[in-house]
Amino acid sequence: MKGVLQEMSENGKISVLQLMVLVFLYTIGTTVLVIPSGLAATANQDAWLGAIVGVLIGTVVLGLYIALWIVYPGQTFVGICRAALGKWAGSAIAVIFMGYGFIGASTVLFYVGNFFQTQFIPRTPIWCTVTLFALVVVMGTRLGLETISRAAELMLPWFLLFFAILVITLVPAAKYVNVRPMLEFGWKPLFEAGLSFAGTAYMPIVFLFAVFPHVKTPEKAKIGVYVTALIGGLCVVLVTLLCILVLGPNITARSMFPSYALVKKINIGNFLQRVEAVMAGMWFITTYVKTTFYFYGGVTSLSEILNLNNYRNVTLPCTMIVIVLSLIVYPDVVYMQYWDSIVFPPYILLMGVFIPLLLWIIGLFKTKPGQNAAASGKNQS
Amino acid sequence: MAANMTFKRIPILLSVLILMLPLTGCWDRREMNELAISLGMGIDRVGKKYVVTVQVVNPSQIAGQKGSGSNESPVRTYTAEGPTVYEAIRKMTIASPRKIYAAHLRVLIFGEGMARQGIGKSIDLLSRDYELRTDFFLLVARGTTAAHALNILTPLERIPANKLYRSIETSEKAWAPVTTVTLDEFVNDIVSKGKNPVISGIRLTGTEDGGSSTDNIKTTRPAIQLENNGLAVFRKDKLVGWLSEMESKGYNYIINNVTSTVGHVSCPNGGNLALEVVRADSKMKGTVKEGRPHLSVELRVEENVGEVECSIDLTKVRSIQELEKRAEERLTRIIRRSLDAGQKKYKSDFFGFGNAVHRSNPGYWKAVQKDWDERFEDAVIDVKVNVKIKRTGTVTNSFMEDKEE
Repeated sequence: MKGVLQEMSENGKISVLQLMVLVFLYTIGTTVLVIPSGLAATANQDAWLGAIVGVLIGTVVLGLYIALWIVYPGQTFVGICRAALGKWAGSAIAVIFMGYGFIGASTVLFYVGNFFQTQFIPRTPIWCTVTLFALVVVMGTRLGLETISRAAELMLPWFLLFFAILVITLVPAAKYVNVRPMLEFGWKPLFEAGLSFAGTAYMPIVFLFAVFPHVKTPEKAKIGVYVTALIGGLCVVLVTLLCILVLGPNITARSMFPSYALVKKINIGNFLQRVEAVMAGMWFITTYVKTTFYFYGGVTSLSEILNLNNYRNVTLPCTMIVIVLSLIVYPDVVYMQYWDSIVFPPYILLMGVFIPLLLWIIGLFKTKPGQNAAASGKNQS
Repeated sequence: MAANMTFKRIPILLSVLILMLPLTGCWDRREMNELAISLGMGIDRVGKKYVVTVQVVNPSQIAGQKGSGSNESPVRTYTAEGPTVYEAIRKMTIASPRKIYAAHLRVLIFGEGMARQGIGKSIDLLSRDYELRTDFFLLVARGTTAAHALNILTPLERIPANKLYRSIETSEKAWAPVTTVTLDEFVNDIVSKGKNPVISGIRLTGTEDGGSSTDNIKTTRPAIQLENNGLAVFRKDKLVGWLSEMESKGYNYIINNVTSTVGHVSCPNGGNLALEVVRADSKMKGTVKEGRPHLSVELRVEENVGEVECSIDLTKVRSIQELEKRAEERLTRIIRRSLDAGQKKYKSDFFGFGNAVHRSNPGYWKAVQKDWDERFEDAVIDVKVNVKIKRTGTVTNSFMEDKEE
């Protein structure tokens, strides 16, 4: 019993397929629920084009992460920081990174609580929903990467089923005139929208560097991550397009949760209708994966920075912090929208693009060609 | 060993205790018998206050009773007034023992007076509140208040709100001069500068008073009835007038909302012949030529001969061609009527030609969107109608045809 508790931080190994499932759900999580509204507010009927631009930006961002992975094989983000910048400076950057993991987990928890309170149970205190959700998250984190991955594998078919129902049942309600005229406001809003899309969907993938070292075959995994993240992004593009086609750009932009407003429109022959509460399961699955890996990224970074031999020891105190933080992280929903649209983009650009880019460039200079293989061999053992 | 076992049981005992907590149920639970399920809501304005009327189902009269055992009304209405709609709805608890539950709302009725003053502000609550969906129909009560309209009991469909919902839906599919408008469609129309909203109207027929007693549904011909009545034309969120049945039908032809209807043409030798529309497909286009909007409607209709009340030889190809020509003329006239109502009578583009122009020429639209309704007034609109008569029903010539010969 004692031996089990004192094992290494994370000695579980996951397969490429499992990682792909995680990346897929992680990309869609929260993005699909909130992003169409912002996209429609910026790009009107071109919101879906903005989302496509976001996927294109995503290909570059993902390319950067893959490159970073190649330069620092088998390293977590904390390890990369330290390898590139030395122990102290590296740890300092790692602390900022870890901090965002916890803020990210808190904000997503708030999203969950807020969604419940706005749409289903307005008089239940938000701490109840948030605590219950956080308990499942911390449970998954403590059980380890293998358990979460298998759970994600089990949840994937449900997600795909709901998603297929969503698309198929809404096609009859689509009004194709809604997307026209295309490019009325030019390209500029598309890039603005694309950036916020990539910021929500792709840049948080940087937190999966906590997971990357635990993949069995890293070579195949790189392509897998790249492809599944893009497919995940295309799913969000599809939902955004459906929002525009079914609800129209104006109502999409005005809605707090446009994709929820969207599933409310499902009505096949006055028979298959009012299924939104069931369909919301889709968001709980993806949001769960998102929250868990923000949190996982946070606690594994913390334990690595402090050189703890088991991250599980810090999960419970961190959960308490995250729960309390989630209750105060946004004082109100208007502040939430302000923060998400004004503060978040530059913040995530710093965390998800500039710091990784810097680390990558340093890594290129530090590792001479030929040393790569040796370094990777050392870390694999 | 025994002590160790007891020690081990504590967490199990604790988790059992903790699991008992959620057994008390959902925090936000609402039992069926605590809800007043409202299927119809009406909003009127008196002075500076909203008067909100809600039609609530009387469950004991609806649930599984064959025949009407008692004389209780199947629905009950509550009325309350307040400076905002939300306050008025909550205020209803002064009379209602249950809280109003609006998730199953079928129709939202505005009194004509209220509609003329503008209804935009009053529907914010309905799009904001989490309970409500957007699939209910908006209606205007012509010449009366919403409160009055909601107080009328109807036969066949025991719940009047359901009756209104169904009859609008049925009439749209089979007769075509009404249009179902849901909340989000209406909101989209108000916001868009290229289309003004339209809402179907209802009116009361028969005597002025009564109708709220079950006596009204005891007879084969109720003293007071609710009927569909053409379309109400809006400019922004204010009602400006009504379309006649013919104009309403033309409107639906133009916006491609005709599923089926029946029309008639006069035969070459006098008398009428009824044609059933089995398929109608229209395209609305708006382009810009020489700096002026150039609008057009193209309508393709497939019809069947439904009733022959004149002498015509339906076995001849030429007579079908003649009928097609006459049907085209008639449909063009119907559409022109409707267009005239928009361009001349109400000076409001409720068809959405502006949106068509917006789609085809965004640059031009930017320049004209502010005063589009004025430009629409003297825009040239082409109407092209193509009618194909496919079938003549189960017989060819009318039996009257032989008799005359």
